[in-house]
Order: sequence, then C-alpha cells, then structure tokens
Amino acid sequence: MMNQPRRHDPIAHDAMSHDAMIRVQEAPFDAGAEQRALLAGRTDIGAVVCFTGLVRDFNESPEITALTLEHYPGMTESALADIVTEASGRWALDGVRVIHRIGRLAPGDPIVLVAVASAHRRAAFEACDFIMDYLKTRAPFWKKEHASQGDYWVSERHSDHEDANRWKG
Amino acid sequence: MSLTHLNARGEAHMVDVADKPESRREASASGRITMRPETLALLAEGGLPKGDVLATARIAAIQAAKRTHELIPLCHALALTKVAIDFTLDEANSCVEVTATCRLNGRTGVEMEALTAVSVACLTLYDMCKAVDKEMVIDAIRLEAKTGGKSGDYRRDEGVGGGIGVAAGVTVVTGTDGPIVTGQGHVGQVAVGSRCDIASPCIRVKCLAELRERLGVGEISVPLSDLTRHDVGGLKAALKALDPRFAGLDEGRVLCAVNQVMAGDRTPITDDDEVAFFPPVTGG
Repeated sequence: MMNQPRRHDPIAHDAMSHDAMIRVQEAPFDAGAEQRALLAGRTDIGAVVCFTGLVRDFNESPEITALTLEHYPGMTESALADIVTEASGRWALDGVRVIHRIGRLAPGDPIVLVAVASAHRRAAFEACDFIMDYLKTRAPFWKKEHASQGDYWVSERHSDHEDANRWKG
Repeated sequence: MSLTHLNARGEAHMVDVADKPESRREASASGRITMRPETLALLAEGGLPKGDVLATARIAAIQAAKRTHELIPLCHALALTKVAIDFTLDEANSCVEVTATCRLNGRTGVEMEALTAVSVACLTLYDMCKAVDKEMVIDAIRLEAKTGGKSGDYRRDEGVGGGIGVAAGVTVVTGTDGPIVTGQGHVGQVAVGSRCDIASPCIRVKCLAELRERLGVGEISVPLSDLTRHDVGGLKAALKALDPRFAGLDEGRVLCAVNQVMAGDRTPITDDDEVAFFPPVTGG
C-alpha cells in the first residue's frame, strides 16, 4: 500500500483506496517523520495537514501533573478505521495517519496525531478537522487527570459533541 | 490406560488423528506467579520499566498457544479458533493468577495449548518484572477443565482460590486503586468461580475506565441462562440481580458495545459475546 504513487479521480474516489495507517501506542511519535512517511514517493499530493494534540497542564483543574489514557483494545482500532473510512468517503484523500497514545503522559507530551494528505488544501483541512471531531466523540479512549488535589476521570464536553454535529446533514 | 504418545514398541510417535471425528474442543488452564507486594503494586500502576506488563503477557500467551506444536514435540499444529487470557491481581496472596482458555473445532484436544499459554504468560510476567523482583515464583500451572473429544469432559474438583463470593459461581477479586494503562482491566477484576462453566454458553462483560472504578468491577462472565431476555437490557437486569453494584449502570450516561460495536438496550446477545459498558469517551 505505501509509497505507491496513485492518482485519484476527485469525483469518484473510493473509501480507503489510499494509504491509511492507524496506530494506538504508548511510545511517543515524531510528527515530522510521520508526515514524511505519508508523503514519501508521492508527487501527486498537493496538501498535507498534520494536527498534533498535546497534553495541557490545565483542564478541569489548574495544575495537572500527568494524564493516564485508557482505551478499549480492538474496538479503538476499528472505531478509528471507521472514522477514517467515513472521511475518505467525504473527501478525496491520498493518505491518512492517525496515531493515538495510551498510558501515562506528562504535560507537553504529544497525545494524538492526525495527518491527512490530499491533492487540494480544502479537503485536507476539512478531513483532518472531521477526523479529530469524530475521534473525540466516538473512539473509546478515556482520560484520567492526575492533579495535586487528586486523580479524576475527565468528563465529556458538550462542545465536542457540537463540533462533531457540524458534519451532519 | 496407555500413553497415546508411545507406540507398541514404546517409542514416541505422533498420534494419527485423521480418522477421529471433528468436535468442538475447549480447555482452560491456570497458573500463578507470586511476587513481592511492591512488585504487584508497580505492575498494577503500570510503573515497571518494560511498560504495560499485562498487555504484553497476554499477547505472548496468545502467540505461545498458537505455537505449542513447535515447543511440545508430539503436539499437532492446530488452527485455534479462540484463545482468551485473563489475569487476576490477587493482593491478598501477592500474586497474579493467569487463566487461558483455548477452543477449536478439530480432532485433538487443546489442553496443551492452554497450558503453554499460561506458562508463557507467567514467564513473560517474570521477564517484565524481573528488574525489580528476582524472587518471583511461578507455580500451580494446571489444567482446570477440558471438554469435547473421546476421553470425555474433565473438570478439576477443588474450588478455585481467591476472592469474595458475591453470588453463586461468581468470585470478585478487588484490585488496587492505581491508574490503568491500557484498559484490559487489571483493577477491580472479577473472575468467575471456576470461570463460567466452559461447556455452557457464557457472556463476557467488561466495565471500562471510570465505570470500572465506580462499580469496582472490571470483568465478569455471566451464564447466558441467567438472562430472561437475550439482549443488552436483559443482561443489565441479570447483572443487577447478580450484584447490587450494577445498579450504577443506570447512573449517568453509560454506553455499551457488543463485540466492540456500539449497541443499545435492544441489541441481541448470544453465546460468547463480549459486552462492554463504559462512560462517554474523552480521548483526543
């Protein structure tokens, strides 16, 4: 699948007929290396949008010392694959990489990467935005924040659902 | 009784199983690794230098079960249809109990696969923890039960140790309060007495993340016969009848997945389904 130049008909694109890679891992990732790998050997890609989410030191409490990410192995990967498939059905994409970390992370650590390549920028911007919105509301990950006052599970946010609902209809 | 791996001249040989009828075979084995309480605490917290110990041991055990024929000379290579590995952290006895269940439709039993899986899981746990504890002891590796085949069903008689009974056939082992790393439920795990009777239909239930900690239950197996209605709603009712803590399934927003696909109360449930309950997701 990888590193094979392939042209897409911008109208009749098939879902997932491109290079799609999904990883759930404890190890850190290198966004630059991931983007280079996504583009390697390709000259038909005109745009790549690479989003990296980081662990913030403030969220539900002001002084977060660490974050633990739990997930549901198996379902996580299939949920992410479904999201990428849906994005591929909506936009003409040339490649997608989604990496989500699990385990214990510290403020400043990269937590999620979504890199989307397309012939044109609009598709890349929108598909990346879409994948993040759906990931936050559909992929089975849970955050537990560790703060000086104690540990607690992060609550869902209404705004995340509003963001995801933008893509409906 | 004779040893089937010896021929008439007393030499080792591989039993010809070509003419044996295929049947559904299942075997479960268990074993344990005892360690210092501090090591167990580190394991529960994901604080060991080699990372997520239980997830690694689980994969090692599954791989080992598949490769049993490469290790045990006269074993046939089998196309296993299921390998399930469960870990129970037993703080009272400062050990990890490992259970492996293997299944296939075939002509030979799968007890060697289950025993190999347990052995390799224990060895992997040793390897993952040895940097902090060299005195760990692996023992009690044994067949718990097997079903199918000519020699008939077998079940070890003695009760399986550990835990506090909450209902007939169900044993709860309360874990630590440490954070979970990858969600394969090592906190507040629930193991079933002698596991759910492997000959009878069973549903594997998982509670994840905040819900697991709120209910104090990680995993539980429920006999399908406990359900008056074979759907998620029926399972919830059966769980609440089994243990009052499951009333918490109705508090706040609790989502459900059947075989890792999002489900609702009317989603049907059949034998061997995996049903997970969890809070709204908060990744990204």
